[in-house]
Amino acid sequence: MTNALNTEGMSLQIVHRRRWGAWLLGAATLIVVSTMILAAVRAQIMDLEVFYRYLFDGQIMRGAFNAVVLGTLALIISAIIGLMLALMRVSGNPILASVSAVYVYFFRGTPMLIQLLFWFNAFPIMFPDLYISIPFTDVVLIDQRMTTVITPFIAALAGLSLAEGAYMSEIIRGGIMAVDDGQRSAARALGMTHNQVLRKIVIPQAGRIIIPASGNQYIMLLKSTSLASAIGYLELLRITTDIYSANFRVVELLAVSAFWYLLMTAFATALQTTLEKLFPQR
Amino acid sequence: MIFMTNTSEKPTLPAVIANAVSKYFGSLQVLKNVSFTVQPGEVVALLGPSGAGKSTMLRCINHLEKIDGGQVSVHGELIGYQRQGDRLMEMSDKRISEQRTTVGMVFQSFNLFRHMTVLENIITAPMMVHKREKAEAIAQAHALLQKVGLPDKASFYPSQLSGGQQQRVAIARALAMEPEVLLLDEPTSALDPELSHEVIGTIKTLADEGRTMLITTHEMAIARGFSDRVIFMVDGEVAEDVPAKQFFESPQHERSRQFLAQMEN
Ligand SMILES: Nc1ncnc2c1ncn2[C@@H]1O[C@H](COP(=O)(O)OP(=O)(O)OP(=O)(O)O)[C@@H](O)[C@H]1O
Ligand SMILES: [Mg+2]
Repeated sequence: MTNALNTEGMSLQIVHRRRWGAWLLGAATLIVVSTMILAAVRAQIMDLEVFYRYLFDGQIMRGAFNAVVLGTLALIISAIIGLMLALMRVSGNPILASVSAVYVYFFRGTPMLIQLLFWFNAFPIMFPDLYISIPFTDVVLIDQRMTTVITPFIAALAGLSLAEGAYMSEIIRGGIMAVDDGQRSAARALGMTHNQVLRKIVIPQAGRIIIPASGNQYIMLLKSTSLASAIGYLELLRITTDIYSANFRVVELLAVSAFWYLLMTAFATALQTTLEKLFPQR
Repeated sequence: MIFMTNTSEKPTLPAVIANAVSKYFGSLQVLKNVSFTVQPGEVVALLGPSGAGKSTMLRCINHLEKIDGGQVSVHGELIGYQRQGDRLMEMSDKRISEQRTTVGMVFQSFNLFRHMTVLENIITAPMMVHKREKAEAIAQAHALLQKVGLPDKASFYPSQLSGGQQQRVAIARALAMEPEVLLLDEPTSALDPELSHEVIGTIKTLADEGRTMLITTHEMAIARGFSDRVIFMVDGEVAEDVPAKQFFESPQHERSRQFLAQMEN
């Protein structure tokens, strides 16, 4: 019998099952992809020289930099907004919880582009003057036309952060709810106050659940900065379209901007991976 | 007007008094006028069929659950409420948290903080709540790990330990707060018989030291082995409250006899 237990004490070499199916599928995929690349090269879909010329163009790079600044600031602000909304939602206070729910419904339920257009175009019409003074004194802190305060950058940052805050609050709330109730009970039983439990137990544990999803949101935000082109903020897409509407090198310039977006995404992914390693799932 | 009981004057006060405690979950009354007393140094087994309200009763003792009637006191101090005239006003979160430090709790599912090492699990609360120096807390943690038989596991994460080891760390974590009473809710139910054994051993050591403990369990080795007294609960009521020997040798109630028959096999 060949499958009887080997009791003769000799060591037999172990051979793992080969995965022929996976190899075949991989080879087929390689063939399809390389055919497509060859076809693209033969058809000369773009002028590589023009592509390289614009790849590290000063304006393009400034646009990419502006996009990263906008996306990153929006992520930070939206995380703060999201944390507050999530804590309101789970606070057990019905008023705070419903305010939070309505916020999420509004900001998640309307397109981001509309929100950006709102902050830049509609808001200054609704409130033409920004006037802030210290009550009961003559000291005026700000007295300006709203249109001068709401620059394209401010409108884009407000729009992206407020909308993204709604998504972040749902992610953070999910993370908080995923923390086992027993962890809270144990911490309370040891005499920690509500806030200490939140700080020391709930948020660190929720963080491990929140980080991967937030990395995803960061990538989405970096790409969503292109929406700000609609309100004239000089980010990557706006600069790209400005250049190609003058020289008609549409394919090359769009490829250049795609390259920079991919680079940003790679950066965000690396950041997420680092954070996940810093806070391993236990 | 505020009445407070001074604990320092009367060292022989009962460790725990539950006086006519009642508790509802929605319209379901889970505890119905439950009264009992635990004396200092006593080991009391809280027994009863599933759903009798044992866990809920334990959680009421450190105000993890709010009670709807009656009072609970630990060493003479009213837990969770303070008397103002003829009313009991719920205390602030901070005061209740302070009171909880006098009552240690061990859970069926261990509930070790999974993002912390064993050492961090033990020192966090003493440092945060008792404001103990880090070096002192660490020294104490090592002594406690020695006591529960896990001197070499300080830097492990809970997920790297067996259930029995996790439960012994949980006991060490509770002891680190130097509680006057230890509540154990089914400390061995999540464990294989073999792993139960080591945890039972640890609990027995504590009993021999004269610790005050209130334990819910289905484990004969605890209930019959070294408990002084049995409180038998059915449907949110105390059906029997007798010395352990008496409960096992001559149970008074039909439900007790049924329960014992089930427990024995
Ligand atoms: N958070 C809760 N919300 C609603 N009902 C609850 C809650 N916790 C417990 N109960 C109910 O209260 C009753 C008593 O539950 P408890 O957990 O105290 O019983 P137990 O005696 O510990 O049972 P077991 O031996 O199964 O652990 C049960 O009917 C249970 O369904
Ligand atoms: Mg229970």
